[in-house]
Amino acid sequence: MTIAAEEEMPGAKRGSSLIRSPQFSSLIILIVLLTVFAVADANFLSPLNISNMMAFLPELGIIALGMTLLLTAGEFDLSVGAVFGLAPVVVMLLVQNGEASIGVALLAGLILCVAIGAINGLIVTKIGISSFLVTLSMLLVVRGAALYITQGFPLKSWDQPGFFVTLLAGSFNIGSFRFYTSLWWFVGLSLLAIYILRYAKLGNWISAIGSNRNAAVARGVPADAVKIWLFILTSVLAGLAGMISAFRISAASPVAGTGYELEVIAMVVVGGTALTGGRGTILGTIVGALMLRAIRNGIVLIGVPGLAYNIFVGVIILAMLILHALLQKNAARG
Amino acid sequence: MAQEVLRLQNLQKSFGSVRALKNASFTLGEGEVVALLGDNGAGKSTLIKAISGVFPVDRGEIYVRGQKVSIRSTRDAMDLGIETIHQDTSLAPDLSIARNLFLGREPVNLKWLGVFAPLDLAKLRDAASALLKRVGISKKLDADALVSTLSGGERQSIAISRAMQFAAKVIILDEPTNNLGVEETHGVLRFVKEVRDAGHSVLLITHNIHHVFQVADRIIVMRRGEIVAEQTVADTDLLTVESIITGADMSALLREARAK
Ligand SMILES: Nc1ncnc2c1ncn2[C@@H]1O[C@H](COP(=O)(O)OP(=O)(O)OP(=O)(O)O)[C@@H](O)[C@H]1O
Ligand SMILES: [Mg+2]
Repeated sequence: MTIAAEEEMPGAKRGSSLIRSPQFSSLIILIVLLTVFAVADANFLSPLNISNMMAFLPELGIIALGMTLLLTAGEFDLSVGAVFGLAPVVVMLLVQNGEASIGVALLAGLILCVAIGAINGLIVTKIGISSFLVTLSMLLVVRGAALYITQGFPLKSWDQPGFFVTLLAGSFNIGSFRFYTSLWWFVGLSLLAIYILRYAKLGNWISAIGSNRNAAVARGVPADAVKIWLFILTSVLAGLAGMISAFRISAASPVAGTGYELEVIAMVVVGGTALTGGRGTILGTIVGALMLRAIRNGIVLIGVPGLAYNIFVGVIILAMLILHALLQKNAARG
Repeated sequence: MAQEVLRLQNLQKSFGSVRALKNASFTLGEGEVVALLGDNGAGKSTLIKAISGVFPVDRGEIYVRGQKVSIRSTRDAMDLGIETIHQDTSLAPDLSIARNLFLGREPVNLKWLGVFAPLDLAKLRDAASALLKRVGISKKLDADALVSTLSGGERQSIAISRAMQFAAKVIILDEPTNNLGVEETHGVLRFVKEVRDAGHSVLLITHNIHHVFQVADRIIVMRRGEIVAEQTVADTDLLTVESIITGADMSALLREARAK
């Protein structure tokens, strides 16, 4: 009965495990990428470009936080991109038809997200269909609904200044940088997610469910309820991100967020969260979100033709995943 | 027999058309080790899953210390002092030893925050180390080590110490020595004796009859969802038990029954 690292000092062990941890290797790659882009094109670190990246970052990043928790619990959600599109469309329709004030309409939009998440969660846990199939179907339903109720046309978004616009898409300048309030949402929600996953009782349950659901259930952990709430959370965060985006660009399009589900899942796994559940890292996800944002932005700046850029994004994601897999194998061998 | 701790009466459970549990009744006394034997598919795991609240029974009653109870969830069973170490599942490999030991019963600060309450990490680690020391596997295991880095025997020891720590009345072990080496197997059997000496009752499921004769006080044999024999270890021998399990020698069984 010995374990491999037995002779090592506890401190040394902890130190090396940090360096070997997936979020750390992602961070190194992120720094390398940023350096390459910065050297290749001076504009990459210009205030305008950084402000631009920071405007987009929270919108996908917020969804990625929910997705990280969900993946850690062993499920995922492909309907987030569609919810991102539908939620603001519903809000704007309610307002434009004079059926609700902007505040009430936003609330109604969020309640719709709760319902979508709850349906996903209930079908996955109570009927036992894989989340891939359930949320793929939900993607079609939700996207279809957004297209149908708008007849396919984008809506002009609420653009009169006011409390909710400031709350979701207000902007402020620090020096020559322009930041949106959405960045604060992302920072705040990130801190909350880190707390939940690492320090709260709930986080222990989430990891345990994803690691070995039956073991968690045998210890009295309400696995189904936790999963359902995580589906709801993910859906609500997707809707919130959609509203933030719609306010920022003053338009709500029924096709907004197309393909975001894969982009978000890529951010999460590139950060080091296991697609198979049990191992999740919010810090990794933040690094992953920054990385994908930087890649998309930097690749265009350094002159890769627009149509070719998905090739690069795909290759970099693949390289990251291979790196994580190798590290994981190494760690397992000890 | 010692004072009754757990009594099952006419438990029945079907999965579709499979009658996994037909009519199971037995009693477990205080400080007693009962071995539950039977071939693959006899219904042993089904029986203990019913007791530990993994799923509800279709019919039948469960009594704990003479009180009729309804066990609707694993939490109910744990609250009644029934701790189970399942055959297929017991630990979450991606969690540390300490987090596994307290899974579902985490020590927290600010309890009013409910599931959002922060774990009391210092207490978690201290209690885990103390517990590891108590069960005699402290020398090498770090409470912060991930369970995925442990050997099968170490995992089994962790699962058993977890069951011990909550001072459960009844500890149920479903094939705890499966896939274990000689040394680890002895460790587990030693645990069973320690647990009994500490006053807990043990229900032990195993395919290894030799182990039974080493630790058990009483033997219960199941076949096709029914309890077909019940004997004290002192009154029987290996060959008899083997033939009861396989049902090969029914005449011997009948002879025995008549002789009684
Ligand atoms: N969840 C389930 N759904 C359907 N059938 C089940 C289920 N669980 C058990 N069964 C069936 O019930 C019967 C009893 O199974 P059980 O797991 O209790 O056997 P066991 O005595 O524990 O066997 P083993 O020694 O192989 O572990 C088997 O025929 C099995 O196929
Ligand atoms: Mg079994």
